[in-house]
Amino acid sequence: MAFLSEILGRTITDLDGNYVGKLEDLIARERPEFPHPVVDAVVIDRRGEKQIIPYSIVMSLFAPAIPLKCHIEDIPTYTLNDDDVYLSRDVLDKQIIDTDGARVVRVNDLQLVRINGTLYVSNVDVGMMGILRRVGLERMTNAIASGLRIPLTDNFISWDNVELLHHDQFMRLRVPAESLADLHPADLAEILSDLNKMESGQFLESMNVEQVADALEQVETDFQASLLSEMDDERAADVLEKMDPDEAADLLAEIPEARSRLLVSLMEKEEADDVRHLLTFPEDSAGGIMTTDYAIVPPDITAEQAIKLLRETASDIDTLLYVYVTDPEEHLLGVFSLTDLIFAEPASLVRDFMDDRVKTVHTLDEQVEVAQIITKYDLLAVPVVNQENIIQGIVTADDALDKIIPTAWKKRLPRFYR
Amino acid sequence: MNNELFINNNRRFFSTIWRKVLLFMSVFGPATITAMADNDAGGVATYSIAGAKLGYPILFLLPIITLLLAITQEMGMRLTVITRRGLADLIREKYGVRAAIFMFAALLIANIGTLVTELSAVKTTSEIFGISPVPAVIAIVLISFVVITRGNYKLTQNIMLLACLFFLAYIFSAFKAKPDWGAATSNLIFPNGVNFTSSYMRDYLIIGMGVLGTTITPWGQFFISSFASDKKIEKGKVGLSQLETYLGAFLTDFFSFFMIVATAATLYVNQITLTSGEQAAMAIQPFAGELAGKLFALGILNAGFMGLVVVSLSTAYAFAEFFGVSGSLDDSFKKSKTFYILYGVQLLVALLIAIFSNVSLFQIAVLTQTINAVALPLVFYFLIKLTSDRSLMGDYVNNPFQRWFSIICSVLIVIASIFTVASIFF
Repeated sequence: MAFLSEILGRTITDLDGNYVGKLEDLIARERPEFPHPVVDAVVIDRRGEKQIIPYSIVMSLFAPAIPLKCHIEDIPTYTLNDDDVYLSRDVLDKQIIDTDGARVVRVNDLQLVRINGTLYVSNVDVGMMGILRRVGLERMTNAIASGLRIPLTDNFISWDNVELLHHDQFMRLRVPAESLADLHPADLAEILSDLNKMESGQFLESMNVEQVADALEQVETDFQASLLSEMDDERAADVLEKMDPDEAADLLAEIPEARSRLLVSLMEKEEADDVRHLLTFPEDSAGGIMTTDYAIVPPDITAEQAIKLLRETASDIDTLLYVYVTDPEEHLLGVFSLTDLIFAEPASLVRDFMDDRVKTVHTLDEQVEVAQIITKYDLLAVPVVNQENIIQGIVTADDALDKIIPTAWKKRLPRFYR
Repeated sequence: MNNELFINNNRRFFSTIWRKVLLFMSVFGPATITAMADNDAGGVATYSIAGAKLGYPILFLLPIITLLLAITQEMGMRLTVITRRGLADLIREKYGVRAAIFMFAALLIANIGTLVTELSAVKTTSEIFGISPVPAVIAIVLISFVVITRGNYKLTQNIMLLACLFFLAYIFSAFKAKPDWGAATSNLIFPNGVNFTSSYMRDYLIIGMGVLGTTITPWGQFFISSFASDKKIEKGKVGLSQLETYLGAFLTDFFSFFMIVATAATLYVNQITLTSGEQAAMAIQPFAGELAGKLFALGILNAGFMGLVVVSLSTAYAFAEFFGVSGSLDDSFKKSKTFYILYGVQLLVALLIAIFSNVSLFQIAVLTQTINAVALPLVFYFLIKLTSDRSLMGDYVNNPFQRWFSIICSVLIVIASIFTVASIFF
């Protein structure tokens, strides 16, 4: 175990102990199967001339004078890969920002660890000891601290909690409080809006389609559109599929028509049809703000069967608040909440515990009317039906009010009121 | 038909002008505030001494100082707008921890020294309004603290820009002093009208260097960069920001002109010597009238306030950048805790020194000037190196002319600051 700052500048000698140069930098690469980058090469400063050699010919990096395994005249040269990272040039001293996009600390040092002949970057040193080591005061501080019996603590962040966003000099690291995949979509969205365009594009690439879709749903439509414009068509279509159909439709309405058509045609048929259907409604009508993610059950099954059916058909619905009861032609007959379902006798029929006085809105009703109905009857969502009372979608309270209370204002409300 | 076309064109002409003005306003602030703050209380004191002791010929240096200020500030501004990072950020990233710690320590000590000189100027000047000095300095520190911790970037910027307007006071003072405008303007082009004895020339050199030293400072270089980075100016507006830098440098020395004229027309003409620059406001009263003295004093108080805010902000920003913590005026106190605490602690330390310590102002000024003289060459080294780095600056990298011109300017400034320090000891 050693630190990058300790070995930089050390003398490198060949097999016979002849002077070769000074250690200037290490080159490492992240590999998909392992979260810590592996050191592949060493940059040597040969009296002003830089030479990059493979790590495999270095006998031991942690010796006071680093010996190579070959003679000075047959030192091989390492060919750089695109995703190679210079540890000193590109990582040391770089800014680390937390999940809120706030600057927290800089990389003070890097800890290296050797396992079975392979050298890994294990930790990022972000503590005071890292700074002291860099200025050569570590030993003195240790001596003083042990003399005064003050315990010194290192402050490390494991490399797998850090993400490289960028490979040139402007690269930054990221330390999420939790690991990145566990982040709440709203937090991801906040990071996205803090990063500049180029960085956010790379950040989006590092996430899976599901995460991107969730994060996109949390940001404003025009920002969604600019992020979408950075993605290639295939990926954009995949992301749109994973988004709520109403969000996807809003977003598609925002981008140039030609690309919008192209993206819809690349989407899976089922999702594409939903989105196409939604796009036919005016933006500020019930049809325009509704989502087609809702659960329906027939009236003549038991509560027990209904739960089983919902498990099979409604598992991918994000906000399952109400279950709607329809006939085979999807004419709306009634509604019940999940609470009703849980407290119903397992053997009782759906038609017996459902509420048949369903409040509905029409596809072309204005958003304000929808919001009024939702607030008046204190609903969490209201179904949208067409002329024949066939269910088309639902508008959630959140979406209905969203259109009336400006988003910025809503964000300022205490969480309780949201 | 023809007539209609003409009107339309005209209208478009005005709307483009209007758009340009609006665009310019969107970058306006950092450079002007930095440049005006260079005329802080210490600066006013130096200019007053210069005017009182040397008369109009010292005005000859102003165009040169303006040019040097413009050239050096522009580098910092361009660097920040293009890289979207502050000077301290880049020093840490490119030159490592040692450079960062050294520069920060120098900046911190020199800045506290500068803050003490601001406060002592406020102390002396408050007497002219019949306010007792200790409450006056406590009040001004409190105001500086509350403005920064309570407000956001925009509020701070607007208060600072408003403070710039108070510099108009010097113009009134200058007019009240009934100066010889012909002598004043002709001395801008070549020094004339006095007996250039060898002792006069010696004073001219020493004071002239001092004037340059108070105008071009390490904190000024760091501040313009941090403040522009906190404003988050878009890359595309770099041209407008450069324009603002030149405008700021011009405005600063435009007002310096009137400060010098006000003291030259009264104190120099009547052969009154100033023991310290802070007394200038009182000393000009018998010649220019009570109002002129009061306006001049108001100018010093205002300069002290600007200096307090800008100088302690520059340290706080630099710390945040060097060590990578959050530091923005738009952040809450909780988010940028270290930044705000450092801002407040400096003011407090300076306040305590100004009230209780019996270290003489002269010693503090010597210490500050010495540290600045050591730090300034390094600041210019970093600035020129960074702005000449194509991988950072892209198309906005220094061209050979800019590079050599900035090197020459920096060498001049460095010689001046070293000379100032040397002149104190010998």
